[in-house]
Amino acid sequence: MEGLHPDTKTDVAEMLSHLSSAGTATLIVGGRRDMGRAVNRGVGAELWTTQLDRVIAYDPAEMLAVVEAGMRIRDLQALLAGGDQEWPVDAHPDATVGGVIAAGISGIRRLRTGLMRDSVVELELVTGDGRLIRSGARTVKNVTGFDVHRLATGSFGSLGAIVQVAIKVRPRPKVRRTLVLHDGGVSSAERLLDAVPLPAAVIAEPDRIELVLEGWPEEVEEQTAAARAVTAAFDVHEDRPTSRVDELWPDAGVLAEVAVTPSRIETATSGASRWRALMGVGLVWIPLADQDALGSLRTLVAAESGTVTAVRGGVHPAAAVATEGTDIAARLVDAFDPAGILS
Amino acid sequence: MSDLIGLRDELVTILGPDRVLADPLALRLYARDASLVEGSAGVVILPGTADHVVAAMKAAARHGIPVVPRGSGTGLAGGATPVGESLVVVTTKMNRVLEVRPRDRLAWVEPGVINLDLANALTPTGFTFAPDPSSQQTSSVGGNVNTNAGGPHCLAHGVTSAHILAVDMVLPDGTSVRLGSEGPSTQGLDLRGVVVGSEGTLGVVVAACVRLTPIAPSVRTMLLDFMTVEDAAATVSAIIARGVVPAALEMMDQGIVQAVEAFAHAGYPTDAAAVLLVEVDGLAGAVAAQSREVEGSAREHGVRTVRAADGEAERALLWKGRKSAFGAVAQIAPHYHLHDCVVPRTRLVEVLRGVYAIAERHDLIVTNVFHAGDGNLHPLLSFDLGVPGTLDRVMRASEEIVRLCIDAGGALSGEHGIGLEKRDFMPLVFTSDDLGAQACIRAAFDPDGRMNPFKVLPEGARCGDFAVARAGAAVMAGEAETAAAAGIGDAASDAAALPPGSWI
Repeated sequence: MEGLHPDTKTDVAEMLSHLSSAGTATLIVGGRRDMGRAVNRGVGAELWTTQLDRVIAYDPAEMLAVVEAGMRIRDLQALLAGGDQEWPVDAHPDATVGGVIAAGISGIRRLRTGLMRDSVVELELVTGDGRLIRSGARTVKNVTGFDVHRLATGSFGSLGAIVQVAIKVRPRPKVRRTLVLHDGGVSSAERLLDAVPLPAAVIAEPDRIELVLEGWPEEVEEQTAAARAVTAAFDVHEDRPTSRVDELWPDAGVLAEVAVTPSRIETATSGASRWRALMGVGLVWIPLADQDALGSLRTLVAAESGTVTAVRGGVHPAAAVATEGTDIAARLVDAFDPAGILS
Repeated sequence: MSDLIGLRDELVTILGPDRVLADPLALRLYARDASLVEGSAGVVILPGTADHVVAAMKAAARHGIPVVPRGSGTGLAGGATPVGESLVVVTTKMNRVLEVRPRDRLAWVEPGVINLDLANALTPTGFTFAPDPSSQQTSSVGGNVNTNAGGPHCLAHGVTSAHILAVDMVLPDGTSVRLGSEGPSTQGLDLRGVVVGSEGTLGVVVAACVRLTPIAPSVRTMLLDFMTVEDAAATVSAIIARGVVPAALEMMDQGIVQAVEAFAHAGYPTDAAAVLLVEVDGLAGAVAAQSREVEGSAREHGVRTVRAADGEAERALLWKGRKSAFGAVAQIAPHYHLHDCVVPRTRLVEVLRGVYAIAERHDLIVTNVFHAGDGNLHPLLSFDLGVPGTLDRVMRASEEIVRLCIDAGGALSGEHGIGLEKRDFMPLVFTSDDLGAQACIRAAFDPDGRMNPFKVLPEGARCGDFAVARAGAAVMAGEAETAAAAGIGDAASDAAALPPGSWI
């Protein structure tokens, strides 16, 4: 298998044009941190975006950063820290900006920070047949034409290689505090979610709850007091990072990510002895022994109109879910990757 | 072959006569939106349910008639202005809030629900629908979805796209699809994301699943006034530099302040060169901290007075001034033309100076009220169309304003959309490949090219162009099937020249 490491956007365009002409099945690779989430087939070539790691523009006053897509999250966050700002995703430091966008993964603190997909305001994509196209604008607001950048976000490289992006960034919170409660379960966590105004995250497990707070010092004190009105049994940690999804349960062969509406979290966790749920959002992570357990979970969750993605160790049945609008999606993939070389 | 009379008769049979309008007055009323663009409607329907829309779309497909979706008609870019003999689908009678599920932080609503009615209906639950365009008393959620509407409060909360979880849509062939999902993850391409802001060119949205945003426990609204526009703009940058993202950050220049004050009597200082209306929200502690930073930023830049609203009545009065701006300009002259370009916020002053110079050159009155925090300018040209030659001057000045914003690194539209009005400016910001890719999105939803034709994409933007080169590449690779498949969309999205006649 051929490994390709383009240095420029033009290189990417030339390479994909050749690969399309030759009909070589190709995988677009960033930091390789979220590949487990997608259906991967055997390929003849891997096109790595990691050499594309330049800063194109960053002015903190604009709250926008324009970077090449192969930039590592570690480097991006270091750049933004210079402006006392952040891009609120919780990806592995080795992940790339383009990879996180292609995988469509939002941060744990989304109740406060919003979704990652809404932070991508401009995007350059090299289509499967080697055309460089740009969508969106380097402004925080824009309704100008059809949003190819929204389509590319979460597309897992099926339309082309994301080579450059402009992302909205935000001021780093003045204070970050995590309250760890020695009491667990969905209903206790829901009580906290109702009692504490505007938390960044309420993360429930069977025997503990993490309440993630951030903001101005005065407001975090207010939130802490609101939590205290519910229970006094918690530890307070300042500036404590929340464990990333990829770090959960390294012992488990399969790590499943369940997506349901928040009111179905209780059902989604039923039957599991270990789980972690993002309250008010509806994501639940569950470690599983094997593919059979994954299959059973899929059946359970499908009955709740939810979906299951294997973050790690999963076998993805081809077209696992027949989503509506499939014809439309197929026509789009045909138009962007006419030779059908992209995974 | 298109058959308008046949379609009209069939629609009367399917929907009943009350839901089908074809008299001259109705056709005239629905021949335009709130822009200057004038069109013509073929037949107008007022469906009451999604099933009505499905039946009408199937009928329109059988008769080969184009379809133009329309909400309240408050659009400012001609997006809902029908061109040629179209079926206009007016969604205002589909105005039910279908379900509100606070625990899931979502609500399902029909497209004709008025934005402000939805916000008010949600208030008792402790949540709101965050987008609040200035038209919120009249504009509909369906319209908001189709224009990806903004509003003063999208600085902190994001534009409509961030608040739409899913849509139920009827495609041009009458097929119903649900795009997006109630839950936090969608499988496959984010088709919901391209429908939001698509200006009615992909299908008719018959229900929207909106995200509920918690109502902030505390809010503070401040009016700051400055003796120079530069000081006001510098204050905007200073606020952001201090790490404050206000809920809203609006600027009004002296011209608009004088018009508004005469109209709304909100106590705005008419001798100031510019005022900022700043709102911060959150927990009480956050409001206090942010207010302190806002006031500190303003003092550094020569603010003359800082007036904080004392109570809800005063807050409403301050906002009344801002939100009645477009009504107030009717006092200046009988007609106005409102722009909507976005520029990097650090270039606001320079662009504003340019706008003043353009207006002076063309002997037009310009006033400015805009979302300073977003860099979203709304220069407002006032004039009297009864004066011969005026329209020409307005159009020339408008084009210069658009080019000025683009040259400053901006976008054609921040929240109003492209519609008919700006479609021919699209090549200023996109290459033919960029536009070809956009045409492919349209073609994927609407292979026959019947949804809201002539809108958004300029003449010559074709998914087909994309396809021609692709077919060549595939033939080289010996993949005849792919080459044939690449023909998709050739007929669609071949954005055509507007039919003869002046549309503005």
